[in-house]
Amino acid sequence: MGIADARAMHPSIDIVEADPEADRRLLEGLADWCDRYTPLVALDGIDGLFLDVTGCTHLFGGERAMLDEILSRFLQQGFDVRAGLAGTPGAAWAAARFCGDRIVASGEEEALLAPLPLAALRIAQEIRTSLESVGLRTAGAVMAAPRAPLVRRFGALLLQRLDQALGRLDEAISPRLPVAPLSVERHLAEPVTLTEEIERLVGMLATTLKTDLERRGEGARSLALLLFRVDGAVSRIALGTSRPMREPLLIKKLFHERLAALEQQIDAGYGFDLVRLSVLAVAAFDTQQTDLTGEAADDGADIALFADCIRARLGEGAVLQPVAVESHLPERAVAIVPFAEAPRRTTPPKKPDRMQAPMTIFPPERPIRLFRAPEPIDVPVTEMPEGPPLHFRWRRALYRVTRAEGPERIAAEWWREAPGDPAASTRDYFRIEDGDGRRYWLYRQGLYGNPQVPPRWFMHGVFA
Amino acid sequence: MAISAVARETVFALRRQIAKIEGTLPERLQAPAPATLDADAGVGPGVDLTIVRRGLAAALPDAFLPIGVERLDAALGGGLPKAALTEIHGLETRDAGAVAGFALSLVSLILNQAQGLPILWIGTSEIFHEAGFPYARGLHATFGIEPGQLLFSEAPRLVDALWVAEEAARMTALAAVILEIRGNPQRLDLTATRRLHARAQGAGRPVFLLRQAAGPEPTAAPVRLIAASAPAVPRETIAGPLAGSIGRPAFTVSIGKSRTALPGQFTLEWNPDERGFEERRDKERRAENPVPVVSLSGGRKDPAAAAGEILAFPAVGSPISPTPGNQPPPGQRATHLGPRRAG
Repeated sequence: MGIADARAMHPSIDIVEADPEADRRLLEGLADWCDRYTPLVALDGIDGLFLDVTGCTHLFGGERAMLDEILSRFLQQGFDVRAGLAGTPGAAWAAARFCGDRIVASGEEEALLAPLPLAALRIAQEIRTSLESVGLRTAGAVMAAPRAPLVRRFGALLLQRLDQALGRLDEAISPRLPVAPLSVERHLAEPVTLTEEIERLVGMLATTLKTDLERRGEGARSLALLLFRVDGAVSRIALGTSRPMREPLLIKKLFHERLAALEQQIDAGYGFDLVRLSVLAVAAFDTQQTDLTGEAADDGADIALFADCIRARLGEGAVLQPVAVESHLPERAVAIVPFAEAPRRTTPPKKPDRMQAPMTIFPPERPIRLFRAPEPIDVPVTEMPEGPPLHFRWRRALYRVTRAEGPERIAAEWWREAPGDPAASTRDYFRIEDGDGRRYWLYRQGLYGNPQVPPRWFMHGVFA
Repeated sequence: MAISAVARETVFALRRQIAKIEGTLPERLQAPAPATLDADAGVGPGVDLTIVRRGLAAALPDAFLPIGVERLDAALGGGLPKAALTEIHGLETRDAGAVAGFALSLVSLILNQAQGLPILWIGTSEIFHEAGFPYARGLHATFGIEPGQLLFSEAPRLVDALWVAEEAARMTALAAVILEIRGNPQRLDLTATRRLHARAQGAGRPVFLLRQAAGPEPTAAPVRLIAASAPAVPRETIAGPLAGSIGRPAFTVSIGKSRTALPGQFTLEWNPDERGFEERRDKERRAENPVPVVSLSGGRKDPAAAAGEILAFPAVGSPISPTPGNQPPPGQRATHLGPRRAG
C-alpha cells in the first residue's frame, strides 16, 4: 500500500520515515541494559537479542522469575517483548518468535519444534520455498525425513540449523563486548542519584574486588563502571591505570576524578538502581617490599597514581613524557608520548656503560623550546648568500641580528622520506642573538642558487 | 638532662610549626658578615652595603635555596624559599626563552640536591603554542635534566592547568613544579595563588609560576622575580674571546617583590657545565658596540678636559687669559670662521 492509499483511508495518519540507524541504536541501548542480567549479550539481526544466561538464573530466583522480571521491566519501559528460554539458541529463538514467553526444558526441543513452521528453523526463504514445494511444511516433517537426501538437495545449512536447535551441535553466540575477567555489582533497592553516593558504592565494590584480585595475584590495568539507570539508560565510565592497582581507596579516587570530569555528561535522572564495577584488563601485581619506616623503596608509584588521576580527569594525553629517539632531525629527536606508554624509568646507571655510544665532546647547541611547527619568517637580506640574516621579521616585529653562529647543516633523512630534491629539504641552522639579547634558532630551507625556488626562512626554537 | 634536651627539641619543633603556619620566620636583624663587605669593596664601599637578615633561629637549615650569587642571595634574604610559590615574570611573550631558562636553571640547582626526582611542567595550550614546547634535548644539554625526569602536562584551559598544578604541588615525589601561564587571567588571583602556596609549603617543594607577558599583580607568592635575556658574552677560547660567537646563557633578573623588600637588578650567567650561576659585574661588556658613543676630537692632540676643570667664570683674582691649550690650533678652526673667499 502506498502512502496515498493509506492517506485516503485514514486522512489523519502520521507518516514517519524509517530510520534503521536509530533502530539499531535503540537495540544497542537495550543490549546495554540487558548487561545487568548477563555479560554475554549478542545482537540478533535487527530485531532481537540473545542473552546467554547460563549460570545467571539463580541470581534472579530461577528461570521463570528471571524471565518474568525481564518481561515486566521491558513492559515498564514501554516495549512489547516476546521472550523464550531454552537450552539452545535455536530453540530459544523459535520459542520466542512462535510460542511466546515459554521456557523449554532441556530435551524438549524436539517437541517444541515439531509443530512449528519452517521459519522457526532460521533458514533462508529460498530453502523454505523449495522445502514447501516438496511437501515438507513443518519442522517436524523435516526431522522425520532422511538426512542424506536433504543435505544433497537443500544444502548443509538446513541440517546444521536443525542440529543446533536440537542441541546436537554446539552454537555459541558472539557477545557484543568482551567479558570482563572480574566484575562486582550491587543492586539497589532505592536508586541513587548523588555522585558522592556513587563514589561510596565504588569504594565498597572495589573492596570486594580487592580480595578477588589478591587471590589471583593480579592488579587492574583497566576498569569500567557501569551505571544502570532506572529507565534503562546505561552509562559506561572506563579508565586506565599506568600500574596494576588493587587498592580500593585509589580506585575510588580515580573514579572521583573521572566522575568530576563527566559531571555534565552523566544524567542521573531518576537514579541508578544497579552499579557494576568491572575489571577489563588485569596484569600481574608484584608486591613491593617496604622498609621498616613503611615507605616503599620505589617512589615512582606516587607519580603513577598522580598521572592516573590527571588522566582520569583530563584525558589520555594530559600527562606527557619525552622519550629520546635516535635521529638527527630536531623535531624527531624527542618523541612526546603519554605517560602510560612511556618506558618505565629505571635507576640511572652509575658509570657509563661500555655499550653506550661515545659521548660527543662538543654536542651541538639545542634550544630549550621548540615550536611545534616552524614559523615562517621574513628575511629581506643576508650578508652572504649562505650566511645568517641581517634582519628578520617574525610575528610582525622586526629583529636586528647582532651576532650569529652557524650554519649547522641538517639534511633530511633520506631513508625515511620519499626521494625528492635533497637541496630543497636541507636546512641550514643559525643560532642568532638580537639586539636585546634574545637567542633564537633559525633555519634556511633551500639554497640561494636556484632562482625558481627561493630559499625560505623559518623560526624553529628559542634558546635560554 | 636528657629530659630537658628532649623538651627543648619539642619547643623548637613547635616554634617551627608556628612559624610555618604563620608563613613567616622569626628573624632578627644582623650586620652582614665581614666577608660580604670585602666582596663588595671592589664596587665601592657604601654602595652595596645592605643589611642582611640572617640568624633564622626557627627556620630549618635548608629552607632556602642559595642561588649562588652573593648579592642576589643577600637581597633575597638567604636565597629563594624552597617550600613556596615563586613567581617569575617575563615582560613579553618573546622573553619566554629567558624566563623558562632562568626557572629551569633554578630547577637545576634544586636537582643538584634532590637527585633523580622528576619535575613537572604544566602549561596551557596557548602558551605552548605561542612560546614553543619544551625541548628535552636542549634541557638536557643546558640544564642537565634527563628526558626521563621530565613530565609535561598540557591543559587546554586555565582551570585545568591550575587544578593539575594544585594536585602536583602537594606531591613530595616531584622535585619541582613549573606552571606556565600567559597574561593576567582573572582566575589566577590571590586565592588561587594562595592555594598553590599553601600546598607548596605543606609538601616542602617549590612551585615556579612563570607568567609570560604579565604585569605585576597582588599574589600570595613571597618572591617575584622579573627575568629577561641579556646579551651573552663571546665564547672563551685559549686565544681569548671568540669574536661574534654566542656564549653561555645570560639573564637580567630584577627583584619585583621579596621578603626583604630590597630592590636590585642582576645580570646572571648560567654555566651549563658547572650548573651554577655567576654574576656579571662589569657593565662595559654589555655595550659591545664598536662604534663609540661620542665622536673623538678631530686632531686627537688635545683630548677633552675632564669634567669640572673648565670654569665658565674664573676664580676671583686670577688673570683672564685664555690658555692656548683651550683653543684649537689655527689649522683646525671651523671653516665658517675662516676668511670667506669670494667667487
